[in-house]
Amino acid sequence: MSTATASRDATRPPPAAPEAAPRARRRDLTPLWLLSPAGLVLVAVTLAPIGFLVLTSFTNYNQRTLFTGAYRGVGLDQYATLLADPAFWASLLRTVLFTAAMVAGSVLLGMGVSHLLTRLGRYWRYTVTIVLIVAWAMPNVASSLVWNWLFQPGYGVLNWMLDELRVFGDTTDLNWAQDPALAYVSIWLLIVWQAVPFIALTLNAAETQVPAEYLESARLDGARECTVYRRITLTFLRPTLLLVTILSVIWDYNVFNQIWLVSRGGPGDATATLGVFTYKTAFVGFRIGQGAAISVVTTLLLLGLTAVYIRNLLRAGEDL
Amino acid sequence: MRSRRRWPVNSIAALFCLVWIFPVYWMVNTAFKARPEVLTPTPHFLPEHPTLDNFVRAVGQEQFLADLRNSVIVVAATVAASIALGIFAAAALSRFRFTGRRTIMVVILAVQMLPGTALLIPMFAMFNSVDLLGTYAALVLADVATVLPFSIWVMRGFFVAIPHEVEEAAQIDGAGPWRILFSVLFPLVAPGVIATSIFAFIAAWNDYLFAYTFMPDESRYTLPVWLASFANPHTGTDFGAQMAASVLFSVPVVVFFLVIQRNLVAGMSAGAVKG
Repeated sequence: MSTATASRDATRPPPAAPEAAPRARRRDLTPLWLLSPAGLVLVAVTLAPIGFLVLTSFTNYNQRTLFTGAYRGVGLDQYATLLADPAFWASLLRTVLFTAAMVAGSVLLGMGVSHLLTRLGRYWRYTVTIVLIVAWAMPNVASSLVWNWLFQPGYGVLNWMLDELRVFGDTTDLNWAQDPALAYVSIWLLIVWQAVPFIALTLNAAETQVPAEYLESARLDGARECTVYRRITLTFLRPTLLLVTILSVIWDYNVFNQIWLVSRGGPGDATATLGVFTYKTAFVGFRIGQGAAISVVTTLLLLGLTAVYIRNLLRAGEDL
Repeated sequence: MRSRRRWPVNSIAALFCLVWIFPVYWMVNTAFKARPEVLTPTPHFLPEHPTLDNFVRAVGQEQFLADLRNSVIVVAATVAASIALGIFAAAALSRFRFTGRRTIMVVILAVQMLPGTALLIPMFAMFNSVDLLGTYAALVLADVATVLPFSIWVMRGFFVAIPHEVEEAAQIDGAGPWRILFSVLFPLVAPGVIATSIFAFIAAWNDYLFAYTFMPDESRYTLPVWLASFANPHTGTDFGAQMAASVLFSVPVVVFFLVIQRNLVAGMSAGAVKG
């Protein structure tokens, strides 16, 4: 039990004290009154839809239903269709690989930048922090559109730069969104660009808490910088690193806006990760029952990781 | 001894800054260029004749004012509802212990880890059946579903930080729980409420998925959807105006981020502003 909890309990009158009993009982209703407005709204806007999502996934809810309102239960048909659909498996595989690539890229770079921050003087530290916050703050719709402009075939500045390198030949008209590999590269860069600031600043907050005596005595003992980092800093960073990595996996696995705005999941279905695949099924083909089934499966696949994250966050929250 | 070896680290920092700020710089650079200068075979790294033409063209679009109005209405309603409901819930979850408290917190956190489509699909179907699609109410309800949970969680953190002695002192002076809440706790969490409102603003302001799906009519676009609608495969995208619009859209968010930077990490880990 945390100290906050202990002192809280200490303020309570002992249950045996007769004069305190009615007061304690009266007080017990207060949290109910405080919670019920938000609670009712949350039930209406989150739990009810989630219940309906699961229900829908067992029905043939489709385009016609949107007009007639008629749909009927089809048991596990939607799930059977889904599991037999090679497009689903392809989408799942690409989601897993793409998530791994994005998480690896952003966490490794984030660790690097976090460490870099500890080595900088005040001026550069401040500058890097401001740059990080500005990049982080960019709304993802805006940054996706900026990306399209940076990578625009014909007049995009990135193609021009690649051209100037004179390594890849004439790259002026390179069409990033129309080539599967290039579409991945540009989306990967976009996600990593936006994710590094949060990871770097969070890790840096933890890294500045590493006791200086440990680092100094190791250096005095003649340990090399990378050994000091690996043996001491990383040991202290591990819990934060774990949280940041899990959170990155959850976010990158669920990413939608950036892919949709940069490539629409294309060319073909090349960049259609589960989010885009679900969206296209439910809102382009209006196979809503099928979309619901994909959404349920997508959620279940991540449930384990979500549970670990929530447990960690709750524990941290209780310790406040 | 260490300061003599500063230059390699500093040059890495400089290189990093250059690369990381480049997309933002390029957005601003393009926004201030004259129209013919936007599309040049050799890009200009500074506008030759800086002009506000792109901004004028962006803002002068027929739908801009209507879409701005839509955004303001939806964001204001979302923030107001989330803070008003959330502050009481946050108080309950931090200053009281009761059965089910932990379960509620788990639900609050779990909801934020769901993929966007998990709420989008059922809400679309539900709103369709009660004819709410295309209305402000639909979008506000959807935004509240994502903003309220993290508002509760973030504000709870600010309540927890208040020492119990403060409450005890008021109790000894004879104040009841409601009196303590309104006259003692609320004033103390006011700065936290402001920070949370900013988080709520950013999340609602940036929402694209719900607005894009629930408000198909151009007159009901919110700003993110308006921004994305500049991309026109038929007539070619007016990149100058699009970048100018992106600057206008991003400025409030960037300013707010700089204002609340000290609270950013805590808010993010609760799912406040997604990447």
